[in-house]
Amino acid sequence: MFRFAWLNLLSRPVRTILALVGLSIPVLGVVGLLSLSNGLRGLVGDTVKLVQGVMLLRTNTPSPIFSDIDPKLVSEIRAIPGIKHVAPEFWRVAPPVENTSTVLRSLTAGSSEKRLANFLETPVVLGMDIAEHNRLDSAVYQRALIKPPSVGGRFLEDRDKGLNRVVISKKFAEQYANKDGSPKKPGDKIRIGSDEFEIIGIYETASLLLDVVLVMDIGTARRLLKAPDDALSALYVEMNDPGENDRISKIIEDRWDEIDSRGMNEVEASFGDIMGEIDVLLMMAVGLAFGVGAIGIANTMIMSIMERVPEIGVLRTNGWSSRQVLSLITLESLILGAISGLVGCALAVAACWTANLYLTDGIRLIPTPAIIVRGMALALLTGILAGSYPAWRASRWSPMEAIRYDP
Amino acid sequence: MAMIETQDVKKSYPSGEGLMEILHGVSLSIPAGHCAFIVGPSGSGKSTLLHLIGAMDQPTSGRVIIDGADLTTMSEAQKDIFRRDKIGIIFQAFNLVGNLTAIENVLVPFLPRGITPELRDRATEMLKKVGLGHRLTHRPNKMSGGEQQRVAIARALVKHPQVVLADEPTGQLDSHTGEEIFRILRNLQHESGTTLVVVTHDRRFIQPGDLVLEIEDGLLKH
Repeated sequence: MFRFAWLNLLSRPVRTILALVGLSIPVLGVVGLLSLSNGLRGLVGDTVKLVQGVMLLRTNTPSPIFSDIDPKLVSEIRAIPGIKHVAPEFWRVAPPVENTSTVLRSLTAGSSEKRLANFLETPVVLGMDIAEHNRLDSAVYQRALIKPPSVGGRFLEDRDKGLNRVVISKKFAEQYANKDGSPKKPGDKIRIGSDEFEIIGIYETASLLLDVVLVMDIGTARRLLKAPDDALSALYVEMNDPGENDRISKIIEDRWDEIDSRGMNEVEASFGDIMGEIDVLLMMAVGLAFGVGAIGIANTMIMSIMERVPEIGVLRTNGWSSRQVLSLITLESLILGAISGLVGCALAVAACWTANLYLTDGIRLIPTPAIIVRGMALALLTGILAGSYPAWRASRWSPMEAIRYDP
Repeated sequence: MAMIETQDVKKSYPSGEGLMEILHGVSLSIPAGHCAFIVGPSGSGKSTLLHLIGAMDQPTSGRVIIDGADLTTMSEAQKDIFRRDKIGIIFQAFNLVGNLTAIENVLVPFLPRGITPELRDRATEMLKKVGLGHRLTHRPNKMSGGEQQRVAIARALVKHPQVVLADEPTGQLDSHTGEEIFRILRNLQHESGTTLVVVTHDRRFIQPGDLVLEIEDGLLKH
């Protein structure tokens, strides 16, 4: 039966190939988009794993750069039982670095991908209470410092308070390279806004979202950004027992309405929700493409069976049941769906592999086996659904109706 | 004992002016193992009668009984099985499947259930009997009309049917090839003991001892 179905498809090769192309493209689309979505989820997941405490922000602010909180809260929160460290932070979008503004960098980028990348790489200033941060168990940037002899340098210490000293990422060290093209290194200067800073250390978290931060003393950051002396954006809080994060977060949120405590699991879940919604939108777009592919297969199958009506009559007169005719036609559309799925998935994997050669800074298209299986399942389902009407129609002919049919 | 029996069979088809009755009440009996010819002018209803005997169509009224089984009371599924196991049919237009080779065409009735080596051997043997042992893997478009009809004969007989029905089997062949086809048909019928019913308007192939059923205007002439 399989061979028969296969031969039927081969007998009209051009039509079969057009139907295959029509369905392969949406499969390519769905696998590619899910791979991108998966890559973004992974990127955020990797970032979140680096952060073990909770971050206290003003309610309804999406990011610490938009948040401001009352400095008086620091001592009150520090007094809550179970809290080990409270580290004040001041976050803002950085002024132009090396006299290049983010907007300018985005606009002058050659391609839309580069513009997006530049947008994601907008430099951000993190001013930290050096003493408090150095006491943290899960201080992200301290741990990510590239140790000598690879690069050298050190992290912020008490002696850097109030001084124009900064720790930057390896990525920025390369992006804002010296005039001779060599990457910045400890001891080099970097201009942030109108001030010149000494680079004292280089870090690398390998996270797109974290490797954009210019880390400096909180007082220096306030001065650079012309903020009040006591301005605060967020508090990074560590508990004695990380397992208590959720419970103590709830205590804080219950006591201060204006404070939102974001555990990193919550951040990841929120991001997952957003990505889920984006996935739905993407799937709706891909769904339209699948619809077109399905129409292509249905059209191919209808034309195919209309040309073969007497042949179907021969099968029926030779004892094939209507169900067996239905199975034959469905098998043909299923084969079309399967080949389209294989071709679409293979193209998608190749496209992801190629794209990953050119994508930098952490974003990766990751076509996991689960995504491939989903792409294949959609292709098979589309094949079956698209072939169901032609198959049903073919199965309804009586033997004599079919054999007497004059195409 | 009658292998084929029809009792007051009527058949009407819808037409522009209502129903058009093709058969007006045909009763006949064909003994097992015989060769019967249904003859008559074009449009007399002989092919319609053949299709009713082959469970390919349903009479408007009356009964069609094959080997004691009443076809008019069978479900569609039962008729499918009946055609598959008990009826071999040969058409005027050969009606082979273009994508399949000669041997695959012979095996068409068995394709849904899978082809065993025994079935393949049987099909090969049948093609050899009709003189196509050298054409097993050829497709219909590479064969002459006579060869295609011989494949159709092999397909009809490979399942050892109780009844073989042939609807104008030489209608598209020259007289020499037609004689060859009838020679093969008769040999195989004689060898297998099956009941052969041939619809034709060409009486040259009728031999003494054959049962001749003459039909005219939807009625059997006696």
